[in-house]
Amino acid sequence: MSSLPAFLRQPLFVALVLIAVLLALGEGLSPGFASPQQILRLLIVAALLGIAAAGQNLVILGGREGIDLSVGGIVSLSAIIAGNLMNGADSGIPAAIAGCIAAGAFFGLINGLGVTLLRIPPLVMTLGMLGVLQGLLVVIRQGIPSGRAAPSLSQFVTQPFLFGLPGIIWLWLGVGLLMAFLLHRTVFGHRIYAIGSNEQAARMAGVPAARVRVLLFVLSGAFAAIAGICLIGYSGSSFANVGEQYMLPSIIAVVFGGTSLAGGKGGYTGTMAGAVMLVVLQSILTTVNIEESGRQMIFGATLLVLMLFYGRGRAMRA
Amino acid sequence: MENAMSTSQGHGQATASRAGGVRRLIARYPFLPALAIALALLALNGLYQPRSVSLIGLTGLTKTYMALMLLAIAQTYVVYAGDIDLSVGAIVSLVNVVLVVLMDRWGGGAGSILVAMAAGLAVGVACGLINGLVVAALRLQAIVATFATSIFFTGLALWVLPVAGLPAPAAFWRTYGGRFLDVPFVFYAVVVLAVLLYLMARLRLTTQLLAVGDDAQSAYQSGLPVTAVRIKGYALCGVFCALAAFCITGDTASGDPLVGGKMTLYSVAAVVLGGAALSGGFGTVVGSVFGALIIGLINSLVYFVGTPSEWQNLVQGLAILVALMVGVLVGRREGR
Amino acid sequence: MSKLILRGVSKAYGATVALSHGDLALEAGEVHVLIGSNGSGKSTLCKIAAGSVRPDAGEMLIDGSAVAISGPQVARAHGIGIFYQELSLAARRTVEENIFINDLPLKAGLFIDRKALAERAARYIALFDGVAGEGFSADATVESLRADQRQLVEIMKTLATEAPILIFDEPTSALDRAQVDRFFEILRRLKEEGRAMVFISHRMDEIFAIGDRVTVIRDGRTVASMPVAETDPAAIIRLMVGGQEELAAPASPHAVPDAAPDAAPAGGETALAVSGISGPGFADVGFELKRGEILGFGGLHGQGQSAVLRALFGAVPIASGTVSLRGAPVRASNPAQAIAQGFAYVSGDRRRDGIVTGRPILENVVPIHYLRQRLKLARPARLREAAKPAMEAMKTRFAGFSHPVDSLSGGNQQKVVIARWLIDRPDILLLDDPTKGIDLSAKADLFALIRRLAAEGMAIILYSSEDAELLANADRILVFNGGRTVRELRGDERTRYNLYQAAYEAA
Repeated sequence: MSSLPAFLRQPLFVALVLIAVLLALGEGLSPGFASPQQILRLLIVAALLGIAAAGQNLVILGGREGIDLSVGGIVSLSAIIAGNLMNGADSGIPAAIAGCIAAGAFFGLINGLGVTLLRIPPLVMTLGMLGVLQGLLVVIRQGIPSGRAAPSLSQFVTQPFLFGLPGIIWLWLGVGLLMAFLLHRTVFGHRIYAIGSNEQAARMAGVPAARVRVLLFVLSGAFAAIAGICLIGYSGSSFANVGEQYMLPSIIAVVFGGTSLAGGKGGYTGTMAGAVMLVVLQSILTTVNIEESGRQMIFGATLLVLMLFYGRGRAMRA
Repeated sequence: MENAMSTSQGHGQATASRAGGVRRLIARYPFLPALAIALALLALNGLYQPRSVSLIGLTGLTKTYMALMLLAIAQTYVVYAGDIDLSVGAIVSLVNVVLVVLMDRWGGGAGSILVAMAAGLAVGVACGLINGLVVAALRLQAIVATFATSIFFTGLALWVLPVAGLPAPAAFWRTYGGRFLDVPFVFYAVVVLAVLLYLMARLRLTTQLLAVGDDAQSAYQSGLPVTAVRIKGYALCGVFCALAAFCITGDTASGDPLVGGKMTLYSVAAVVLGGAALSGGFGTVVGSVFGALIIGLINSLVYFVGTPSEWQNLVQGLAILVALMVGVLVGRREGR
Repeated sequence: MSKLILRGVSKAYGATVALSHGDLALEAGEVHVLIGSNGSGKSTLCKIAAGSVRPDAGEMLIDGSAVAISGPQVARAHGIGIFYQELSLAARRTVEENIFINDLPLKAGLFIDRKALAERAARYIALFDGVAGEGFSADATVESLRADQRQLVEIMKTLATEAPILIFDEPTSALDRAQVDRFFEILRRLKEEGRAMVFISHRMDEIFAIGDRVTVIRDGRTVASMPVAETDPAAIIRLMVGGQEELAAPASPHAVPDAAPDAAPAGGETALAVSGISGPGFADVGFELKRGEILGFGGLHGQGQSAVLRALFGAVPIASGTVSLRGAPVRASNPAQAIAQGFAYVSGDRRRDGIVTGRPILENVVPIHYLRQRLKLARPARLREAAKPAMEAMKTRFAGFSHPVDSLSGGNQQKVVIARWLIDRPDILLLDDPTKGIDLSAKADLFALIRRLAAEGMAIILYSSEDAELLANADRILVFNGGRTVRELRGDERTRYNLYQAAYEAA
């Protein structure tokens, strides 16, 4: 491994190769799997996961065991709020976008304050928040009839929008550019890496670590909310706990993208590839004709094997 | 360290030492805050629904939450070493279906039940060993690796029993829900568990796990077999997952390949409520048991105070969040 | 036949060579002193012998036969016990558990035999009866102990191995006189028993008090080994420093003491006045610092010098007392505030407090620039332009701004950390043992820069654990002992003798 040129060991490169291999495998197992339409469909699903994983990515980069288990809860909540605010009418879209992002950012803010002011470990804080969000979902669902996506939103997510690509793909590319800009061309981005790599040194260099960390959780909530809006556009209407499927996969996508769970190392481009890889893998397993049980076993085992390609922990004896 | 240079005068020192006394007490018995919260919740339960603190009420509570208590214990042993296991729920499901299917296949008699339970225990240990190998030997991140194994175990459970609903033999769940000499079976289970935990606290492995969680590098340099110790921690976790699965099977009287899924995160919450540090090296299994009880008591209290049904989940979620925060804040020691 | 022989042992971490050629011949019944400046490779050599660091090359013999030490357990089995400089204790376990963590007595093969544990631990705890201090007991958790008491636990843990070969890597750094005396008594007894011991210390008096043989390591290489009786401190220091001595320690203090006030351009205007500040690790510290002045903090290691500097920088709380900048009282509750007030701080522990590991050099140079200029966007071209003069002033050798800071040598890493303060200059520069573990030429560059900055009017506080540096560079020296300033040395008083005397006076 170590004799390979550096770029071949880049997580992004590894992910891209694995995606190509998986696509070829899928095509072999079921001709048409790697057709352009199919790939487009996979990309839409990957975009949903990828956008949800953007915030997760930021929180993890910030280090100090940063993790956001409430991502799935916020995706679900946002999907419901969006559905209710739109209720099938285009006129509701601006309110839905504003309302969802505000709600996501609000819960992210609470997470961030709990983690920084009260110094609750992120895992505990966001786990508790997940329980609150799940309870909130029940309340909202019982109080108001479940809404539907506005036609324009559905069209934006599922139909060609520009140059034959659906709007959500463009949105995801936009998120990718935004993340790259944020992480590499802003002071804030450099501060994220600084607190993630060595918080003590960062603080000694005047980095307002707590403020940066709170903002990371706010952004995580906001990105999850955007994913929730897109999700209802994709599925038409929201159903119970639609977002739950994003909780741990958002973390896996980040890890497969080469971001270290220890923080300070990685970026979003890899995460995008990680999200695609995860979706392609899942899709292959649904294509092949095997029992659900076998599918899950293969999925779990494959995830483990893939993890071996990424950062393994340090050996005790250096 | 914290009192290196005390310049404050008498009054300040007096309050400091009182606070220090409480802190020392908590340092010695980290489960005290959890116990206090649990007792307060129990009192509140009794206040709103006197019958809930009767023998029948307590039996029901124990019967329902026994599985979560055991799962919290399971999680504690890996958290001791600074690891985490997100597959405990999946292991419970797997053992549950293995147990029910084997008992069904072997006729449901007393002998078959015992053999099936032994098999279930073996499955639990095997799952724990797999987790341990993946996390400690292959050095994968515990959070993502045990999530992956949880998918694998769930697949296995679905293979053993594709759909929920296969009933457990009557002898099994009647025993779990029944009485001996007028005392409910679960109380015997509680007593056995208490003795077991008392003994296990004295295990060398327990101290080794805590030392590894305290500072793995130091433990390694001291000559502890760190990898082996962590693997044993996961194996122990598997054992208690299996025991939890027995209780679930007794409580639900059937096999369900997804029965444990929701319990994983609760087990983590219970461990934190019980005063353990997720970073490892600190905590007690007793605390985790109280942590599981707190979750159970919050759930029943929310019901007893007459919360409208659609609000119950939210109030439970908020109460658990607050309890988690209080637990972390009270349990925090100086300088950390 | 030697008890333990290490021959041609080497270890590199990436590009950094920790040990290039380590030799050691340890005899039974001797205390073998290992000496060398910080970062010379002593600890690496010890850890290789103890199995916790994997050597790249070299051989190891015990009682004349070659052994392969593949881990700490194997080293123990071969009869090697070690005291780790950074300690190997579990903070939340008790003293007795820590002493026997690797060898807990068992009942029924599974359970800890508490009684046996207490009895066995008591034997080792008793060795330090009367000097262990308040709060030290078998069932106290290590985290509740003071630094010196923790060090005693590590000593007991090492002794409890009852290994024929005992390695002590700086076991006395936090101990008081009485504790050191007791420890030496124990070492002498073990010597009589025929144990072979390695002892590392930076205190020259200790080395001559207990050592039988001394081996000197310089820049990762064993350079000499001789009986202690046949040498003297000056000779050892010459061996430690090598041919480059004149670079590090100019013979005479530089020429800007009190006698030449015109050297400070602002004519001695008071930049910083500190009065009666107390906090964790220091009490009732007061002094004034003029523009253009270099104030030295001296004394033994860990007597509150660092704590005061960190407190001024807002990283440690100040419980009482006042700090004023140019006459106006200030109080910083975090480093960002202190930086805004005009403070700068450089720590010798650059891996903890200095560099942001894994990030490019550029990001490591500009954080203060971000803060002072309230920047929002990071434009690489402009940042490079801003950083370049600072890096040149420090004579930093680096291949490019985009290379990770870890790719630099220790000295150049420290230069990057210092360079970050040179883009937007501070008024007051706090140097907290800034040359720890960096090479001599980097030290020379650093002190040349410090003098230039002082000449330009910056007020500087320099704490150094190397007395020669302090004597050569400080205009005035405050000597710390037990968290308090015990003496001020001005002008001609700045002699090594006075410094030692003040530092060693009973606290």
